Amino acid sequence: MKKRNLAVCGIVLGALVSVEALAQSEAQVDDHYYNDRYCTTCHGADGMGSEGISAPRLAGMEEWYLKRQLENFRAGIRGTHEMDLQGREMRPMAMPLTDASIADLLGWIGSWEYKPTQVTLAGDASAGRTLYATCAACHGDAAQGNEALGAPALAGQNDWYLVTQLKNFKSGYRGSHADDKLGAQMAPMAGALADQAAIENVVSYINTLGR
Amino acid sequence: MPQSVSRREFMNLLGATFGTSALIRIGSALSLMPAVAALSRPVLAAPAPGAGKVVVLGAGISGLTAAWELTKAGYDVTVLESSNRAGGRVMTVRSGDVIDEIGNRQVCEWDAEPHMYFNAGAARIPSTHSNLLSYCKELKVDLEVFINESKTAWVQDDAMLDGKPIRNAELSTNVRGFLGELFAKSFSSAQLDEPFTEAESETIMGLISQFGGLDEDMLYKGSSRAGYVSGGFINHGVQKDMIAFKNFMKSRMLSLTFTANEGETGPMLMQPVGGMDRVPAGFIRALGDRVKYETPVKSVKVKDSSVEVVYLRDGEPQTIVADYCFNCIPAHFMSGIEHNFPAEYVHAMKYIRRGEAMKGAFQAKERFWEKEGIYGGISWVNAPIRQLWYPSHGIHKDKGVILAAYDFGGGMNYTRMTQEERVEMLLSQGEKVHPNYRQLVEKPITIAWHRMNHMLGCAARWGRSGGGMTLAEEELFATLQQPAFGRHYLIGDQMAYHGAWQESAILSAHWALADMDQRVRSAAA
Ligand SMILES: Cc1cc2nc3c(=O)[nH]c(=O)nc-3n(C[C@H](O)[C@H](O)[C@H](O)COP(=O)(O)OP(=O)(O)OC[C@H]3O[C@@H](n4cnc5c(N)ncnc54)[C@H](O)[C@@H]3O)c2cc1C
Ligand code: HEC
Ligand code: HEC
Repeated sequence: MKKRNLAVCGIVLGALVSVEALAQSEAQVDDHYYNDRYCTTCHGADGMGSEGISAPRLAGMEEWYLKRQLENFRAGIRGTHEMDLQGREMRPMAMPLTDASIADLLGWIGSWEYKPTQVTLAGDASAGRTLYATCAACHGDAAQGNEALGAPALAGQNDWYLVTQLKNFKSGYRGSHADDKLGAQMAPMAGALADQAAIENVVSYINTLGR
Repeated sequence: MPQSVSRREFMNLLGATFGTSALIRIGSALSLMPAVAALSRPVLAAPAPGAGKVVVLGAGISGLTAAWELTKAGYDVTVLESSNRAGGRVMTVRSGDVIDEIGNRQVCEWDAEPHMYFNAGAARIPSTHSNLLSYCKELKVDLEVFINESKTAWVQDDAMLDGKPIRNAELSTNVRGFLGELFAKSFSSAQLDEPFTEAESETIMGLISQFGGLDEDMLYKGSSRAGYVSGGFINHGVQKDMIAFKNFMKSRMLSLTFTANEGETGPMLMQPVGGMDRVPAGFIRALGDRVKYETPVKSVKVKDSSVEVVYLRDGEPQTIVADYCFNCIPAHFMSGIEHNFPAEYVHAMKYIRRGEAMKGAFQAKERFWEKEGIYGGISWVNAPIRQLWYPSHGIHKDKGVILAAYDFGGGMNYTRMTQEERVEMLLSQGEKVHPNYRQLVEKPITIAWHRMNHMLGCAARWGRSGGGMTLAEEELFATLQQPAFGRHYLIGDQMAYHGAWQESAILSAHWALADMDQRVRSAAA
């Protein structure tokens, strides 16, 4: 693994500097490059979400919600169930984060431009509309989210991700941890969706709400 | 009374062990393709005036190959690389290096000596990989021999010999003895079925006898090939007792003794002196500051007569407009990068699955394997670590770096372990081969390619059926191989039928270059 900046420093400073100075600059390079801002590798450019990695959109999502999820992942309230394959991909990313680092990341995420998501589902949106009536109580008529109830916005999120989450809540892969009080409120709602088709229908309806 | 075997059946049986056609069949099932690759470097025409700008995305081997060939042909090339190093899956770890695994950053603290390194990704160059070898020559990357097979290395399987490791030579000698006897017996009945001439019979029986190390009665009773218990030079050697085949029967690793060193991993293999990253370093020497680091690409848009790429530099978006784009960014990332590719192209891209691979390594406080008569090569363990590699370089120095685990096809369980769990796995499984391993090694490094920053996977997986690609998969591949709107080429070993090699990456770049060149030439004509 070649340290590019080290070589550049060598050329710029020439033979005048001591080896010690070079060693120091190397340490600085490491600090600058190896920070905690690696989220976009998985969550895509400007946190647009990346289906190839199953990592959802972060851009434009509510700060309070992202914060709680990061804390939940860190504490093992989310992303620890054996069968929660995607959550287990995310959890180790949150584990090393400090509170200060989470605050920094949230600020960074907040600076990303929101761009509409692509629709990847072709469910029956009108059937989904009926199903969504229950959801609206917490997530809002336009799926805009409700901070007071702890229910996040669903509109504007990647549809494939919403599907995974509903399946995970339904199967108990998410929301079953003893300390996951809000997840416990959501889980029975997903449980009430009869099958995969119902899940896809309700998410297809959410897709029509736009943003 | 054994059932008699017809000549054809017998020949098939024979072929199954000796025959080249059979070996090729076995080989391709294991993705070993021994044919010498034809040199495929395209001769590029000079760019058309005002149309010579190319942007290369990713400084993987394929990107570097494209950049170098285009530079030589007179194109104005910029390579955008998101990481702070070139090479991608070609990565060498040595003292002071940071392992940029997301969520599990590690710093290598091995002794700072030229031989104290470990190739965390690509490690071997087969003699048949002519194109890679030709770049090594051109870019002055010194090569040395890589030892893949050592007959003194161990094979360990809990399912045989009560888990006691056995030397590769002893295992293979006994397995061949058993097979030899079997062949000799089938041959006698095959002869009844359809007689051979006497001369033919003699040749065949001679071959069988040699293959199995059989005695005059065509029986296997042990062979000095397995090694002596003692003596053998200036006094009589005491031959090892034969081990009856039934003792190995439960092991699923026996075919290894015939296939691990065939085809692409057969002799002769090579490695660059000082680490595999000497290969990308050679390209970087040639390309100079055309390669930009820490410049992650965030958007690729193909326009009517150009390609517009947006990347970040110090967090700020920058735009570069080029005539052509060669892209070796792993396809699974492209869903997180804005683009305007055609629907069928995106469909094909989404089909590719991320591959898995893991490795691990320790600094060995002493080269304990040399005391066991092992110089280079691989010990095989029927456990998730699978392999221990003894370095071919640095022989007889004080210390060495031992590769403590390598699984090319799997590794997700390993990926999900904490660093401590991974290290314990390396130790407890390595201990099965070298009893005081735990005391002899230190400073672990673990590599889980699924979590390596900017990579998140290993060789792309096209086939989902277990065998090769299906016809439908070949069609998807063909769609993705064609340039999007005639200007954007996806390259990398992900764009090869036979991936997971640097040669594959290079050949994919050559294919794309030749295609572009043809378009340039026909536009000029
Ligand atoms: C464990 C292991 C063992 C192997 N063993 C061998 C071997 O023995 N011999 C052999 O020849 N080959 C081996 N290979 C295979 C070989 O390493 C690869 O086939 C080859 O290096 C792939 O090259 P590539 O051109 O496809 O690019 P990659 O190596 O896939 O490089 C892709 C590049 O894109 C960059 N990138 C990612 N995202 C962005 C972005 N947004 N913007 C800009 N750049 C980006 C990455 O940082 C990286 O540099 C092995 C691989 C592994 C992992
Ligand atoms: C290795 C890939 C990877 C990296 C790196 C990564 N994530 Fe994730 N992240 C995921 C995946 C996969 C999910 C989806 C989990 C699921 O389906 O339950 C996820 C989910 C999340 C969620 C939950 C979103 C929601 O709507 O509930 C948040 C918040 C999040 N990640 C933030 C981050 C931040 C901040 C970073 C950088 C510090 C980061 N991630 C780095 C893969 C990753
Ligand atoms: C009682 C209130 C309530 C109702 C009703 C409800 N939810 Fe939720 N939902 C929540 C809460 C709270 C969360 C956040 C859980 C957490 O913090 O982990 C949530 C989370 C989700 C998530 C995960 C979002 C993400 O970004 O990770 C999805 C998807 C979801 N709900 C869909 C639905 C659907 C569809 C319905 C209707 C069938 C529904 N919810 C009904 C409260 C509710």
